[in-house]
Amino acid sequence: MKHLTLADEIVVLMLDDTSGEIKPGCLAVAGVAIAAGVLMELALVGRIDTDLESLFVVDRTLLGDALLDDILLEVAAEPRTQPSAWWIDQLSTRHGDLVERVLGRLVSSGILKEEERKFLWVFSRRAYPPVSGREEREAKARLMSVLFNDEVPDPRDTLLLGLAKSTGVLAAILASDEYEKAGPRIAEVAALEEIGRAVGVVTGQVRDAVASIMMAHYP
Amino acid sequence: MEITSKIDGAVVVFQLAGRIDAATSPSVEGAVNTAVGGGSKRVIFDMSAVSYVSSAGLRVILLAAKKANAAGGGMAVFGLQAGVQEVFSVSGFGRIVPITANEAEARTKLAG
Repeated sequence: MKHLTLADEIVVLMLDDTSGEIKPGCLAVAGVAIAAGVLMELALVGRIDTDLESLFVVDRTLLGDALLDDILLEVAAEPRTQPSAWWIDQLSTRHGDLVERVLGRLVSSGILKEEERKFLWVFSRRAYPPVSGREEREAKARLMSVLFNDEVPDPRDTLLLGLAKSTGVLAAILASDEYEKAGPRIAEVAALEEIGRAVGVVTGQVRDAVASIMMAHYP
Repeated sequence: MEITSKIDGAVVVFQLAGRIDAATSPSVEGAVNTAVGGGSKRVIFDMSAVSYVSSAGLRVILLAAKKANAAGGGMAVFGLQAGVQEVFSVSGFGRIVPITANEAEARTKLAG
């Protein structure tokens, strides 16, 4: 079975099973998380690499995945080398609605259903409930395994944990005392990968900006 | 990147020279897999001639540690140059892979 990309997995984790929508706490950073997830996937398949200063393309061979290839081409076309956080920020805003695009992929691959639901009896909205929920359970199980085993984590799981931490997914999965207890391990694993650290920085900036807007409107 | 190794029973010491990045990490991974598969489950990287480690390089070190641990051994590194030390420090890699002062200390660490 073809595995889900990290961008697919973080969307599955950010969805509320009941409403079929991105959880309100994740909404502001969903595009950022997907952009970072795509870059992480490109790193895992050897198309890009990063260091403390920059993100760079090491192999321009396309993968046959429209989303990954679009972003690989965009990174390859940039004449100046930029750091990971810059790319995450740019891609999250330049690539249209990344959330809709990944939701569409997940519907096409039979992982989510697309439904029209009514609210207030008149208005309709689209919802994306899981077909079986297996992918979400598997992703959560891998996160729990990383957190509660002291084994050396797998790079893919390390990156997924960075996304789950930055989006608030981890805090929503774990009870507050469990989250507190796992805090040192979460910090340890999330720091291992450069793009994982970068997505933490960018999601922090987005949340700060949202908080500033809220404060300005509702002081 | 140059990779040389010396095997001493269950201990394998890799002397690495050059850059560990996306281009060279598959060679490092292959060398580690061969050694651990052959029974050398205590893996030591002599990094004194390594001038640069990218994220792909760190990833292959993580995989090497995972492989060695899964085989019932472990992994340690020594001889980090200043730039490489900074990469290890920022990522907190030292909490996952022990960094020792020299080969003798690495051997002691893995034997314990």
